[in-house]
Amino acid sequence: MLARLMESGNKRIADLAVNSNFRSLRFRHDRIFFQKASLQEKTILGLIGKESGKETMQMEVYDCKQKTDLTGANLIWDTKTNQKITSVAGKNVIKGGKASWDFYWQLFGRNSIDNKGLLIKQYVHYDKGMDNAYWDGRRMVYGDGDGTVFTSFTSDIDVIGHELTHGVTENEANLDYENHAGAMNESFSDIFGIMIKQKCDNQDVKKSNWLIGEKVMIGPKYALRSLKAPGTAYINHPDLGDDPQPATMDGYQNLPNTQSGDWGGVHINSGIPNFAFYVAAFNMGGYAWEKAGRIWYAVLTDTSLIQNGKFTDMKNLTIVHAEKLFGINSPESKAVKQGWTEAKV
Amino acid sequence: MDRGESLTEAMKIKLIRTGGFIPITKEAETDVNLSDSQVKSLLEIIQPDRIPSPIKDGNYYLLAIGSSSTLVDLEKVPDEYKALFSKLKSDLKFIKRR
Repeated sequence: MLARLMESGNKRIADLAVNSNFRSLRFRHDRIFFQKASLQEKTILGLIGKESGKETMQMEVYDCKQKTDLTGANLIWDTKTNQKITSVAGKNVIKGGKASWDFYWQLFGRNSIDNKGLLIKQYVHYDKGMDNAYWDGRRMVYGDGDGTVFTSFTSDIDVIGHELTHGVTENEANLDYENHAGAMNESFSDIFGIMIKQKCDNQDVKKSNWLIGEKVMIGPKYALRSLKAPGTAYINHPDLGDDPQPATMDGYQNLPNTQSGDWGGVHINSGIPNFAFYVAAFNMGGYAWEKAGRIWYAVLTDTSLIQNGKFTDMKNLTIVHAEKLFGINSPESKAVKQGWTEAKV
Repeated sequence: MDRGESLTEAMKIKLIRTGGFIPITKEAETDVNLSDSQVKSLLEIIQPDRIPSPIKDGNYYLLAIGSSSTLVDLEKVPDEYKALFSKLKSDLKFIKRR
Protein backbone atom coordinates (compact mmCIF):
# COMPACT_ATOMS: atom_id res chain seq x y z
CA MET A 1 0.00 0.00 0.00
CA LEU A 2 2.73 2.47 1.10
CA ALA A 3 4.81 1.51 -1.96
CA ARG A 4 1.91 2.45 -4.25
CA LEU A 5 1.34 5.76 -2.43
CA MET A 6 5.05 6.61 -2.68
CA GLU A 7 4.71 6.40 -6.44
CA SER A 8 1.62 8.62 -6.40
CA GLY A 9 1.55 11.48 -8.84
CA ASN A 10 0.33 13.70 -6.00
CA LYS A 11 3.57 15.08 -4.49
CA ARG A 12 2.05 15.68 -1.03
CA ILE A 13 0.74 12.09 -0.79
CA ALA A 14 4.06 10.72 -2.07
CA ASP A 15 5.98 12.81 0.53
CA LEU A 16 3.73 11.59 3.34
CA ALA A 17 4.13 7.98 2.21
CA VAL A 18 7.93 8.26 2.06
CA ASN A 19 7.98 9.79 5.55
CA SER A 20 5.68 7.08 6.94
CA ASN A 21 7.81 4.38 5.37
CA PHE A 22 10.98 5.95 6.81
CA ARG A 23 9.49 6.17 10.33
CA SER A 24 8.19 2.62 10.12
CA LEU A 25 11.62 1.37 9.05
CA ARG A 26 13.31 3.23 11.90
CA PHE A 27 10.89 1.80 14.49
CA ARG A 28 11.45 -1.71 13.16
CA HIS A 29 15.23 -1.23 13.29
CA ASP A 30 15.02 0.28 16.80
CA ARG A 31 12.94 -2.70 18.00
CA ILE A 32 15.44 -5.18 16.51
CA PHE A 33 18.34 -3.20 18.01
CA PHE A 34 16.83 -3.21 21.50
CA GLN A 35 15.97 -6.92 21.26
CA LYS A 36 19.54 -7.76 20.35
CA ALA A 37 21.25 -5.19 22.62
CA SER A 38 23.75 -6.55 25.09
CA LEU A 39 23.48 -5.83 28.82
CA GLN A 40 26.24 -3.25 28.44
CA GLU A 41 24.42 -1.49 25.62
CA LYS A 42 21.15 -1.49 27.57
CA THR A 43 22.98 -0.07 30.57
CA ILE A 44 24.57 2.64 28.44
CA LEU A 45 21.19 3.54 26.98
CA GLY A 46 19.79 3.87 30.49
CA LEU A 47 17.36 0.97 30.14
CA ILE A 48 18.57 -0.95 33.19
CA GLY A 49 18.96 1.31 36.19
CA LYS A 50 15.84 3.36 35.74
CA GLU A 51 13.59 0.29 35.77
CA SER A 52 14.83 -1.06 39.09
CA GLY A 53 15.18 2.16 41.09
CA LYS A 54 15.82 0.38 44.39
CA GLU A 55 19.49 1.13 45.00
CA THR A 56 20.42 4.10 47.12
CA MET A 57 23.71 5.86 47.67
CA GLN A 58 25.79 5.03 50.74
CA MET A 59 28.22 7.71 51.86
CA GLU A 60 30.33 8.73 54.84
CA VAL A 61 32.10 12.05 55.37
CA TYR A 62 35.06 12.42 57.74
CA ASP A 63 36.80 15.48 59.18
CA CYS A 64 40.60 15.18 59.26
CA LYS A 65 40.87 18.32 61.43
CA GLN A 66 43.80 19.53 59.34
CA LYS A 67 45.87 16.47 60.16
CA THR A 68 47.26 13.88 57.77
CA ASP A 69 46.26 10.76 59.70
CA LEU A 70 43.16 9.48 57.88
CA THR A 71 42.60 6.71 60.42
CA GLY A 72 42.15 9.33 63.14
CA ALA A 73 39.57 11.36 61.22
CA ASN A 74 36.12 11.90 62.77
CA LEU A 75 32.96 10.69 61.07
CA ILE A 76 30.79 13.82 60.74
CA TRP A 77 28.04 12.64 58.37
CA ASP A 78 26.64 9.46 56.89
CA THR A 79 23.62 8.53 54.79
CA LYS A 80 22.14 6.38 57.57
CA THR A 81 21.77 9.14 60.13
CA ASN A 82 21.89 12.17 57.81
CA GLN A 83 22.96 14.36 60.74
CA LYS A 84 23.25 18.14 60.43
CA ILE A 85 26.76 19.43 59.92
CA THR A 86 28.31 22.88 60.03
CA SER A 87 31.42 22.26 57.90
CA VAL A 88 31.03 23.95 54.51
CA ALA A 89 33.53 21.51 53.00
CA GLY A 90 31.46 18.67 54.44
CA LYS A 91 28.27 20.07 52.90
CA ASN A 92 30.07 20.52 49.57
CA VAL A 93 31.21 16.91 49.36
CA ILE A 94 27.79 15.58 50.37
CA LYS A 95 26.23 17.61 47.53
CA GLY A 96 28.97 16.67 45.06
CA GLY A 97 28.99 13.02 46.07
CA LYS A 98 25.21 12.78 45.68
CA ALA A 99 25.33 14.55 42.30
CA SER A 100 28.04 12.17 41.09
CA TRP A 101 26.23 9.06 42.30
CA ASP A 102 22.95 10.28 40.75
CA PHE A 103 24.70 11.04 37.46
CA TYR A 104 26.10 7.52 37.10
CA TRP A 105 22.88 5.91 38.33
CA GLN A 106 20.36 7.90 36.34
CA LEU A 107 22.26 7.86 33.06
CA PHE A 108 24.02 4.52 33.10
CA GLY A 109 22.32 2.48 35.81
CA ARG A 110 25.67 2.37 37.58
CA ASN A 111 25.39 1.77 41.32
CA SER A 112 28.31 3.72 42.80
CA ILE A 113 32.04 3.55 42.12
CA ASP A 114 32.21 -0.23 41.69
CA ASN A 115 28.67 -0.69 40.32
CA LYS A 116 28.00 -2.83 43.40
CA GLY A 117 26.93 -0.07 45.77
CA LEU A 118 30.34 0.73 47.26
CA LEU A 119 30.23 3.02 50.30
CA ILE A 120 31.57 6.41 49.16
CA LYS A 121 34.07 7.74 51.70
CA GLN A 122 35.09 11.39 51.60
CA TYR A 123 37.62 13.10 53.88
CA VAL A 124 37.66 16.88 54.25
CA HIS A 125 40.01 19.38 55.97
CA TYR A 126 43.04 17.21 55.18
CA ASP A 127 46.35 18.69 56.37
CA LYS A 128 47.05 22.38 57.00
CA GLY A 129 46.47 24.55 53.94
CA MET A 130 46.70 21.56 51.60
CA ASP A 131 46.09 22.72 48.03
CA ASN A 132 45.02 19.42 46.57
CA ALA A 133 42.41 16.65 46.33
CA TYR A 134 43.10 13.01 45.55
CA TRP A 135 41.69 9.48 45.26
CA ASP A 136 43.85 6.98 47.15
CA GLY A 137 42.23 3.83 45.79
CA ARG A 138 39.59 3.67 48.54
CA ARG A 139 38.46 7.21 49.29
CA MET A 140 38.44 10.84 48.22
CA VAL A 141 40.51 13.32 50.23
CA TYR A 142 40.27 17.12 50.07
CA GLY A 143 42.44 19.91 51.42
CA ASP A 144 41.29 23.39 52.41
CA GLY A 145 43.64 25.17 50.00
CA ASP A 146 46.38 27.64 50.96
CA GLY A 147 43.91 30.55 50.99
CA THR A 148 46.03 32.56 48.58
CA VAL A 149 46.07 30.69 45.27
CA PHE A 150 43.55 28.00 46.10
CA THR A 151 40.47 27.79 48.26
CA SER A 152 38.94 24.50 49.46
CA PHE A 153 39.17 21.74 46.87
CA THR A 154 35.57 20.89 47.74
CA SER A 155 34.36 24.20 46.24
CA ASP A 156 33.67 22.82 42.76
CA ILE A 157 31.39 19.89 42.02
CA ASP A 158 33.49 18.98 38.95
CA VAL A 159 36.52 18.36 41.20
CA ILE A 160 34.46 16.02 43.38
CA GLY A 161 33.13 14.27 40.25
CA HIS A 162 36.70 14.05 38.96
CA GLU A 163 37.91 12.24 42.09
CA LEU A 164 34.93 9.87 42.19
CA THR A 165 35.48 9.03 38.54
CA HIS A 166 39.04 7.92 39.34
CA GLY A 167 37.34 5.22 41.40
CA VAL A 168 35.04 4.31 38.51
CA THR A 169 38.00 4.07 36.12
CA GLU A 170 39.89 1.90 38.60
CA ASN A 171 36.93 -0.50 38.64
CA GLU A 172 36.55 -0.51 34.86
CA ALA A 173 39.38 0.08 32.38
CA ASN A 174 41.85 0.44 35.29
CA LEU A 175 44.10 2.48 33.05
CA ASP A 176 47.76 2.69 34.07
CA TYR A 177 48.63 6.00 35.67
CA GLU A 178 51.44 6.89 33.28
CA ASN A 179 52.01 8.33 29.81
CA HIS A 180 49.08 7.99 27.33
CA ALA A 181 47.01 5.68 29.56
CA GLY A 182 47.49 7.97 32.56
CA ALA A 183 46.47 11.00 30.53
CA MET A 184 43.35 9.08 29.39
CA ASN A 185 42.68 8.21 33.04
CA GLU A 186 42.88 11.90 33.92
CA SER A 187 40.79 12.84 30.91
CA PHE A 188 37.94 10.48 31.85
CA SER A 189 37.90 12.14 35.29
CA ASP A 190 37.78 15.64 33.79
CA ILE A 191 35.14 14.69 31.21
CA PHE A 192 32.78 13.04 33.70
CA GLY A 193 33.55 15.74 36.27
CA ILE A 194 32.51 18.51 33.88
CA MET A 195 29.37 16.60 32.78
CA ILE A 196 28.36 16.10 36.42
CA LYS A 197 28.60 19.87 36.90
CA GLN A 198 26.79 20.60 33.62
CA LYS A 199 23.93 18.27 34.61
CA CYS A 200 23.64 19.85 38.06
CA ASP A 201 23.50 23.31 36.50
CA ASN A 202 21.37 22.19 33.53
CA GLN A 203 23.98 23.53 31.11
CA ASP A 204 24.12 22.50 27.48
CA VAL A 205 27.34 22.44 25.45
CA LYS A 206 26.99 26.11 24.53
CA LYS A 207 26.11 27.41 27.98
CA SER A 208 28.92 25.57 29.79
CA ASN A 209 32.30 27.30 30.07
CA TRP A 210 33.98 23.89 30.23
CA LEU A 211 36.22 24.96 33.11
CA ILE A 212 37.27 22.59 35.89
CA GLY A 213 37.84 24.09 39.33
CA GLU A 214 36.92 27.69 38.61
CA LYS A 215 36.03 28.33 42.27
CA VAL A 216 38.90 26.28 43.68
CA MET A 217 41.41 28.57 42.01
CA ILE A 218 41.16 32.06 43.45
CA GLY A 219 40.68 34.90 40.96
CA PRO A 220 38.07 35.44 38.24
CA LYS A 221 40.53 34.77 35.40
CA TYR A 222 41.69 31.40 36.66
CA ALA A 223 40.58 27.76 36.76
CA LEU A 224 42.40 24.45 37.14
CA ARG A 225 41.76 23.24 33.59
CA SER A 226 39.82 24.09 30.45
CA LEU A 227 38.39 21.38 28.20
CA LYS A 228 37.34 23.93 25.61
CA ALA A 229 40.78 25.51 25.32
CA PRO A 230 43.44 23.46 27.11
CA GLY A 231 46.40 25.62 28.05
CA THR A 232 44.30 28.70 28.87
CA ALA A 233 42.88 27.89 32.31
CA TYR A 234 45.48 30.20 33.83
CA ILE A 235 47.89 32.41 31.93
CA ASN A 236 50.72 34.39 33.49
CA HIS A 237 49.47 33.56 36.98
CA PRO A 238 51.68 35.39 39.52
CA ASP A 239 52.50 32.16 41.41
CA LEU A 240 51.92 29.37 38.90
CA GLY A 241 52.81 30.86 35.54
CA ASP A 242 51.02 29.31 32.57
CA ASP A 243 48.65 26.37 32.20
CA PRO A 244 50.88 23.71 30.56
CA GLN A 245 48.16 21.66 28.83
CA PRO A 246 48.35 21.08 25.06
CA ALA A 247 45.11 20.79 23.09
CA THR A 248 46.62 18.89 20.18
CA MET A 249 48.99 16.00 19.65
CA ASP A 250 51.75 18.16 18.21
CA GLY A 251 52.02 19.74 21.66
CA TYR A 252 52.33 16.36 23.45
CA GLN A 253 54.96 16.59 26.19
CA ASN A 254 57.34 13.67 26.67
CA LEU A 255 58.03 13.88 30.39
CA PRO A 256 59.78 11.39 32.69
CA ASN A 257 57.62 8.67 34.19
CA THR A 258 58.40 9.83 37.74
CA GLN A 259 56.65 11.72 40.53
CA SER A 260 58.35 14.93 39.41
CA GLY A 261 57.52 14.21 35.77
CA ASP A 262 53.81 13.87 36.60
CA TRP A 263 54.09 10.21 35.60
CA GLY A 264 54.80 11.15 32.01
CA GLY A 265 52.60 14.24 32.09
CA VAL A 266 49.25 12.64 32.91
CA HIS A 267 47.74 15.99 34.04
CA ILE A 268 49.32 17.79 31.10
CA ASN A 269 48.69 15.61 28.05
CA SER A 270 45.12 14.91 29.21
CA GLY A 271 44.37 18.21 27.48
CA ILE A 272 44.47 16.33 24.15
CA PRO A 273 41.66 13.77 24.77
CA ASN A 274 39.80 16.45 26.75
CA PHE A 275 39.79 18.69 23.68
CA ALA A 276 38.68 15.81 21.42
CA PHE A 277 35.72 15.23 23.74
CA TYR A 278 34.83 18.93 23.86
CA VAL A 279 34.81 19.23 20.04
CA ALA A 280 32.78 16.02 19.67
CA ALA A 281 30.23 17.04 22.30
CA PHE A 282 29.96 20.59 21.00
CA ASN A 283 29.36 19.41 17.44
CA MET A 284 26.67 16.99 18.63
CA GLY A 285 24.95 19.87 20.44
CA GLY A 286 22.45 19.69 23.30
CA TYR A 287 23.54 18.24 26.61
CA ALA A 288 26.98 16.59 26.58
CA TRP A 289 25.85 13.68 28.74
CA GLU A 290 23.07 12.66 26.36
CA LYS A 291 25.23 11.57 23.43
CA ALA A 292 28.98 12.17 23.81
CA GLY A 293 28.81 11.13 27.47
CA ARG A 294 27.17 7.82 26.55
CA ILE A 295 29.86 7.12 23.97
CA TRP A 296 32.69 7.88 26.39
CA TYR A 297 31.04 5.80 29.15
CA ALA A 298 30.74 2.89 26.72
CA VAL A 299 34.49 3.15 26.09
CA LEU A 300 35.34 3.44 29.79
CA THR A 301 33.40 0.23 30.49
CA ASP A 302 34.58 -1.61 27.38
CA THR A 303 36.87 -4.47 28.34
CA SER A 304 38.78 -4.08 25.10
CA LEU A 305 40.21 -0.77 26.35
CA ILE A 306 43.59 -2.06 27.52
CA GLN A 307 45.29 -0.80 30.67
CA ASN A 308 48.26 0.70 28.84
CA GLY A 309 46.23 1.90 25.88
CA LYS A 310 47.24 4.79 23.67
CA PHE A 311 45.25 7.81 22.51
CA THR A 312 44.70 6.08 19.17
CA ASP A 313 43.04 3.14 20.98
CA MET A 314 40.69 5.57 22.67
CA LYS A 315 40.01 7.31 19.37
CA ASN A 316 39.18 4.02 17.64
CA LEU A 317 36.93 2.84 20.47
CA THR A 318 34.98 6.08 20.68
CA ILE A 319 34.31 5.83 16.93
CA VAL A 320 33.27 2.17 17.27
CA HIS A 321 30.85 3.00 20.09
CA ALA A 322 29.51 6.11 18.37
CA GLU A 323 28.68 3.98 15.33
CA LYS A 324 27.23 1.23 17.50
CA LEU A 325 25.03 3.59 19.48
CA PHE A 326 24.05 6.07 16.78
CA GLY A 327 24.86 4.44 13.45
CA ILE A 328 27.63 4.45 10.85
CA ASN A 329 27.95 7.89 9.27
CA SER A 330 25.59 9.29 11.89
CA PRO A 331 26.16 12.93 12.87
CA GLU A 332 27.39 11.61 16.24
CA SER A 333 30.06 9.35 14.74
CA LYS A 334 31.14 12.19 12.44
CA ALA A 335 31.36 14.52 15.45
CA VAL A 336 33.58 12.03 17.28
CA LYS A 337 35.89 11.70 14.27
CA GLN A 338 36.00 15.48 13.97
CA GLY A 339 36.94 15.75 17.66
CA TRP A 340 39.98 13.51 17.25
CA THR A 341 40.92 15.22 13.98
CA GLU A 342 40.88 18.61 15.71
CA ALA A 343 43.03 17.17 18.50
CA LYS A 344 45.41 15.86 15.78
CA VAL A 345 45.29 12.28 17.08
CA MET B 1 68.67 16.60 68.13
CA ASP B 2 71.65 14.33 68.67
CA ARG B 3 74.60 16.01 67.01
CA GLY B 4 76.36 12.63 66.72
CA GLU B 5 79.91 11.52 66.97
CA SER B 6 81.35 13.24 63.90
CA LEU B 7 81.77 16.91 63.09
CA THR B 8 78.59 18.68 62.16
CA GLU B 9 78.53 20.74 59.06
CA ALA B 10 76.23 23.50 57.91
CA MET B 11 74.34 22.36 54.87
CA LYS B 12 71.27 23.30 52.92
CA ILE B 13 68.36 20.92 52.72
CA LYS B 14 65.40 21.43 50.46
CA LEU B 15 61.93 19.94 50.75
CA ILE B 16 60.23 19.57 47.38
CA ARG B 17 56.54 18.80 46.87
CA THR B 18 55.41 17.56 43.46
CA GLY B 19 52.23 16.25 41.86
CA GLY B 20 48.61 17.04 42.60
CA PHE B 21 45.39 17.82 40.76
CA ILE B 22 47.38 20.24 38.65
CA PRO B 23 51.05 19.36 38.52
CA ILE B 24 52.75 22.03 40.56
CA THR B 25 56.06 22.07 42.35
CA LYS B 26 56.64 23.75 45.71
CA GLU B 27 59.97 24.07 47.48
CA ALA B 28 61.37 25.26 50.80
CA GLU B 29 65.02 25.39 51.81
CA THR B 30 66.82 25.81 55.12
CA ASP B 31 70.28 25.51 56.66
CA VAL B 32 70.90 22.71 59.13
CA ASN B 33 73.90 21.50 61.09
CA LEU B 34 74.00 17.78 60.61
CA SER B 35 76.79 15.25 60.35
CA ASP B 36 76.99 12.85 57.44
CA SER B 37 75.92 9.98 59.67
CA GLN B 38 72.92 11.95 60.93
CA VAL B 39 71.85 12.70 57.36
CA LYS B 40 72.28 9.06 56.38
CA SER B 41 70.31 7.88 59.39
CA LEU B 42 67.50 10.41 58.77
CA LEU B 43 67.16 9.44 55.12
CA GLU B 44 66.99 5.76 56.05
CA ILE B 45 64.24 6.39 58.58
CA ILE B 46 62.04 8.57 56.37
CA GLN B 47 62.34 6.64 53.14
CA PRO B 48 59.03 5.05 52.10
CA ASP B 49 58.57 1.37 53.05
CA ARG B 50 58.12 0.51 49.41
CA ILE B 51 58.10 2.36 46.13
CA PRO B 52 54.66 3.93 46.24
CA SER B 53 52.31 3.17 43.37
CA PRO B 54 50.93 6.37 41.88
CA ILE B 55 48.02 7.84 43.83
CA LYS B 56 45.54 9.56 41.54
CA ASP B 57 46.25 13.29 41.89
CA GLY B 58 48.52 12.54 44.87
CA ASN B 59 51.38 14.68 46.16
CA TYR B 60 54.92 13.43 46.78
CA TYR B 61 57.71 14.87 48.90
CA LEU B 62 61.39 14.73 48.10
CA LEU B 63 64.30 15.81 50.27
CA ALA B 64 67.17 17.32 48.34
CA ILE B 65 70.61 17.51 49.89
CA GLY B 66 73.32 18.74 47.61
CA SER B 67 72.70 17.46 44.12
CA SER B 68 70.71 14.37 45.04
CA SER B 69 67.06 14.10 46.06
CA THR B 70 65.26 11.25 47.77
CA LEU B 71 61.57 10.43 47.99
CA VAL B 72 60.48 10.72 51.63
CA ASP B 73 57.48 9.77 53.76
CA LEU B 74 56.75 12.69 56.07
CA GLU B 75 54.63 10.47 58.33
CA LYS B 76 57.87 8.74 59.36
CA VAL B 77 59.80 11.84 60.45
CA PRO B 78 61.27 11.22 63.95
CA ASP B 79 60.15 13.47 66.81
CA GLU B 80 63.46 15.34 66.98
CA TYR B 81 63.06 16.46 63.36
CA LYS B 82 59.32 17.16 63.40
CA ALA B 83 59.70 20.91 64.03
CA LEU B 84 62.23 21.20 61.20
CA PHE B 85 59.99 19.45 58.68
CA SER B 86 56.88 21.24 59.90
CA LYS B 87 58.64 24.57 59.26
CA LEU B 88 59.83 23.43 55.83
CA LYS B 89 56.32 22.29 54.92
CA SER B 90 54.73 25.56 55.98
CA ASP B 91 57.41 27.51 54.06
CA LEU B 92 56.79 25.69 50.75
CA LYS B 93 56.58 28.16 47.87
CA PHE B 94 55.32 27.65 44.33
CA ILE B 95 57.86 27.25 41.58
CA LYS B 96 56.44 29.26 38.73
CA ARG B 97 56.04 27.43 35.44
CA ARG B 98 57.28 29.21 32.35
